Amino acid sequence: MDFALDDDQALIAQTVRRFVDKEVRAWAGDADRAAEAPTKLATVAAELGFLVDAVPEAAGGLLDGAYPHLTRALRGYELGRGCSAMAALLECNVEPALAVARWGSAAAQAELFASLTAGGYATTGRDSRGALKVTADGDDVRVTGKIGPLPALARASHVLVCAQLDGAPIVLLIATAGERITAQAPSAWRAAAWATLTVEHTRVPASHVVARGAAGAEATIAIGAWARASLAARATGVAVAAMEHARHYATERIQFGQPIGRFESIIGLADDADTSTAAARLMALHAAWACDRARDPASLALAADLASRARVLAGDAVRKATIDAVQIFGGYGFVNDYPVEKLMRDARPYEQLLGDERFDRILATSRSEH
Amino acid sequence: MDIFFDNPMLTGVRQMLGAFAKQYIRAVATKHDREESMPWALMKQAQAFGMTQTAVVDGRKALTGKDDEDGAGKPKSQSRLGVVGSEELAYGCAGVCLAIGGSGLAASPVARMGTEEQKQEFRRLLKGDDEHGHIKVAAMALSEPSTGSDISGLSTTARIDGDHYVINGHKQWITNGQSAAAYVVWAQTDPAAGRAGVRGFLVARGTPGLIPGRKEHKLGIRASETAQVHFEDCRVHKDMMLGIGASSEGLADTKKMLDSTRPMVGAQAVGIARAAFDYLVERVAGGTMAGTPLAHHQRVAFELAEMEMEIQAARALVHKAAWMADHGQDNVRMASIAKAYGAKVAQSVTARALTLLGEEALEPDHPVEKWYRDAKIYDIFEGTGQIQRRIIARSIFGVNPT
Repeated sequence: MDFALDDDQALIAQTVRRFVDKEVRAWAGDADRAAEAPTKLATVAAELGFLVDAVPEAAGGLLDGAYPHLTRALRGYELGRGCSAMAALLECNVEPALAVARWGSAAAQAELFASLTAGGYATTGRDSRGALKVTADGDDVRVTGKIGPLPALARASHVLVCAQLDGAPIVLLIATAGERITAQAPSAWRAAAWATLTVEHTRVPASHVVARGAAGAEATIAIGAWARASLAARATGVAVAAMEHARHYATERIQFGQPIGRFESIIGLADDADTSTAAARLMALHAAWACDRARDPASLALAADLASRARVLAGDAVRKATIDAVQIFGGYGFVNDYPVEKLMRDARPYEQLLGDERFDRILATSRSEH
Repeated sequence: MDIFFDNPMLTGVRQMLGAFAKQYIRAVATKHDREESMPWALMKQAQAFGMTQTAVVDGRKALTGKDDEDGAGKPKSQSRLGVVGSEELAYGCAGVCLAIGGSGLAASPVARMGTEEQKQEFRRLLKGDDEHGHIKVAAMALSEPSTGSDISGLSTTARIDGDHYVINGHKQWITNGQSAAAYVVWAQTDPAAGRAGVRGFLVARGTPGLIPGRKEHKLGIRASETAQVHFEDCRVHKDMMLGIGASSEGLADTKKMLDSTRPMVGAQAVGIARAAFDYLVERVAGGTMAGTPLAHHQRVAFELAEMEMEIQAARALVHKAAWMADHGQDNVRMASIAKAYGAKVAQSVTARALTLLGEEALEPDHPVEKWYRDAKIYDIFEGTGQIQRRIIARSIFGVNPT
């Protein structure tokens, strides 16, 4: 067992950290108010190798060999320290690229990779609410219903959808061109280009049915594991950032004749956050490490389980840390001149995206033991 | 009939304001949250329902027919009425509730310590509509950029100059700070006297040197306006100083005022929690999971049971604190308990409701997401959660823990 980073991992984490401290944090407030990420984000992202890092080299991307989920978690943690919305935009291409490369047809690969290497975006959704009706139409399928709200969907050329066909998992790649996309600006991750996709009897050709049958189940589990490990890492970054800001403020804010950071109750809030974020960070990294080692159904199941629990733990940690950071800032925490009210809003999707796997597990267990 | 609603007045207020909240407040809550705008039209409507901006000043006269009901120079407490009404309005929208009731913060010291002339002036300033056709509102200006939890460090000064006081300083987080027609500003009249030298002044909008400042963009309660207010050599006639003579205890006046409003603030937090709870109940009633009604799942039903326990407990505390105030009992500890626990429950219930709702609550303008943002202020304003615990602890041990 070795908790040390290798040279590549350390370099990437350091580089992203510098980018976050210098640029992302400076852009975050304006991006949040404007509900739009700055255009220079894409430029810097390209320089740093985001967006096409999961696209195979042969298809014009940067991926040579196996995708390093652990490195992604390390960089996700750093991105979370900066801005959840921009982090979502920089990370959203990974799942579609990996899933289509692994299970997709040549046609789907060609189409998606051409879009991503030309600066395009893709995103991933899970029909956790049963809002999508999928029916077979020969080898093609037809979909009706609503997907999202999802981050990055407003600018995505494709959305990878994990849904069900006749009670069995199926993964689809839906091209958004010509479909009804409704842009939205919720209060969390405001600059993340959220949207919903409304489809009505839309045909998804067989070439874009990424995985069905046994592959559908495997792909659904893998995509969920990758996405949740990444969400957990980013959430932990947000939690850590919230307390960084709060600690700094607590050293400057004087009440009752001393910096508020010397009151035991305030120290306690920050101290509890440190404990929970330390645990959440390790678990997120462990889940990503397991994703890197998922070679068969058993190891994949382990990765998915760890990722799910990592996300639950990180979701709890980020909710509490951001609420407590606002508390430490007091009245200033409630206004948007300071960064923590945004972090409290931004904490929510980490718990809510991709459905409630706690409930899923409870259901699965209660059914199996009947 | 129950122990909380044991008279027709309380039941009537609950029914009337509950209906007003459901029918009128809910209809505009999302819009004003999104636009960060005051619900002026609704405030006018509320006025027609009897929720006037001068209610606190008028109420005393209207309800008792005289100023000194209990003979001690203090108005008869209507705390239980206040908590019942507050819970219902905040059930509609906490931001709108504060917009409707925000003037009460300024009216309270005027009612408590004002001379008849000052009360007349307060009523005069709030009479009629302004140039936009909006009703007139009042602001209480106490907090300062460096003076939040610790109000003993007030730096705004009021220097006597002939028949006038000259006020200088900056006020922060002031409800109605930009739009108010009347301000009650707290300032130090005698630095050597410390806390005893602090006084409130009634200042009319338009008085030279009173400069409404920047409006804040907030996490929640966005239908309520919060702004800075600046005073630059603002001259106020000495007749407009509240608590003239022996009737003022300086800074302690503001603390008493905060003690008296705490049960109502706690009640608003209960209103938010109940809003989220009712939303979930309705949602669960119509939903299924894995082919079974949601209500049959312990994972869901027990969570709601837990919320109901917390809400009932919080409401009981709020009503107890208010009942004590109405019966002339010292309720400082109980008021802090009610406020702090209400805030805790509102935050916890709304957060867990979002988790239960999952992806569906990521829809823009989702009411539960708004209530989650609204709830946070209840642990901050009118004394933070830490200040409440300090008060409670001091009432137990007699010392301020650090």
